[in-house]
Amino acid sequence: RALCPLVPSAPAALRALPPPVAVGVLHTTRPLHTTQQSLAPVPPLPEKGGEVRHGLIPEEFFQFLYPKTGVTGPYMLGTGLLLYFLSKEIYVVNHETAAAACILGVIIYGIKKFGADVAAFADKLNEEKLASARAMKSESIETLQKAIEEEKKEQWRAEGRSYLFDAKRNNIAMLLEANYRERLLMVYTEVKKRLDYQVAMQNLKRQKEQDHMIQWVEKSVIQSITPQQQKESIAKCILDLKALSKSAHAAV
Amino acid sequence: MAGRKAALKAVDWAAFAERVPANQRAMFNALKTRNDALTARLAALPEKPPTIDWAFYKANVAKAGMVDEFQKKFSALKVPEPVDTQTAKIDAQEKEAAKSTAEYIQASKARIAEYEQQLQKLKNMIPFEQMTYEDLYDAFPESKLNKEKYPYWPHKPIADL
Repeated sequence: RALCPLVPSAPAALRALPPPVAVGVLHTTRPLHTTQQSLAPVPPLPEKGGEVRHGLIPEEFFQFLYPKTGVTGPYMLGTGLLLYFLSKEIYVVNHETAAAACILGVIIYGIKKFGADVAAFADKLNEEKLASARAMKSESIETLQKAIEEEKKEQWRAEGRSYLFDAKRNNIAMLLEANYRERLLMVYTEVKKRLDYQVAMQNLKRQKEQDHMIQWVEKSVIQSITPQQQKESIAKCILDLKALSKSAHAAV
Repeated sequence: MAGRKAALKAVDWAAFAERVPANQRAMFNALKTRNDALTARLAALPEKPPTIDWAFYKANVAKAGMVDEFQKKFSALKVPEPVDTQTAKIDAQEKEAAKSTAEYIQASKARIAEYEQQLQKLKNMIPFEQMTYEDLYDAFPESKLNKEKYPYWPHKPIADL
């Protein structure tokens, strides 16, 4: 199916044959613009370009000649053509030939030696650009997601505002209650203070009177003791003491 | 006595603390310390003051009639409750806060919708490997080179390179 566009001029007998062995590397034509709508985005380019032999001649040419001439056909054709051009002097060998040979040699040597490295370097440059673009994109995605998270968190925070007002009202209620209790307590303490003062005053007065009375009685008793009585009481004390000491001696 | 026992609503301080954003933490701490101070003060005061032993005073105070007079005046005394002036203001504040919160949440939802839209656009973008420069300008309009304003290469101010 894919090869039909390439072999439109093959004779009918050839077309009847099964299609040539697909080597697996043949490059199908990309079906662009097969429908009315244009394909966008354009599908990505294939990984590898078309297969090429000896760097110049596409593989399709060899496949084209394979049914008739086999594997060596194109090479024979090439050699024959070259010898024909040289011998008939359609291509004249002159100094340009030498120059061309040297230049081609150097070019081929250079490509063979450094081709892969240069290709890798170019790929790296491209890859870096792509990587930086992808990094920017993923960063933007992350930032947006974080922003969405933050917004949701802020909404959740705002829902907690009832706590604040409850706490404030609690504060007010506690303050009022505390003030009221303080007032009651103050009333009680003041009244009690005054009553206690009265009681304490009375007690103090009573005590002072008692002390004064006792003192006065003592003083008057001491005054009433005459010298005569004092001598008599001292003599009596001495007698008592003697009697006591006698009984004490006896006890010991 | 009716207003006295307005029940204190239990406030879950842990949950409250979770919702406080960092820049309002100082205010929150101040509120909490005030609350704790008030609670401590309230707990220290007895609910009713102890009763006065009138019989003892009647027996002991010599002055006639003084104790009776005190007792009469004491039981007739009515301590005024402190008047609540602030709760109405708090309620008004709460209503206002509810309104402004609703507005904020609306705006926040709009912002979230915007972000979601941008997110979707970014997620549905074609991969860079398959883009052409035109596709790039469509996806990121700010990367389009302004050829009218800067007609000469590099089509943007040198400082932006």
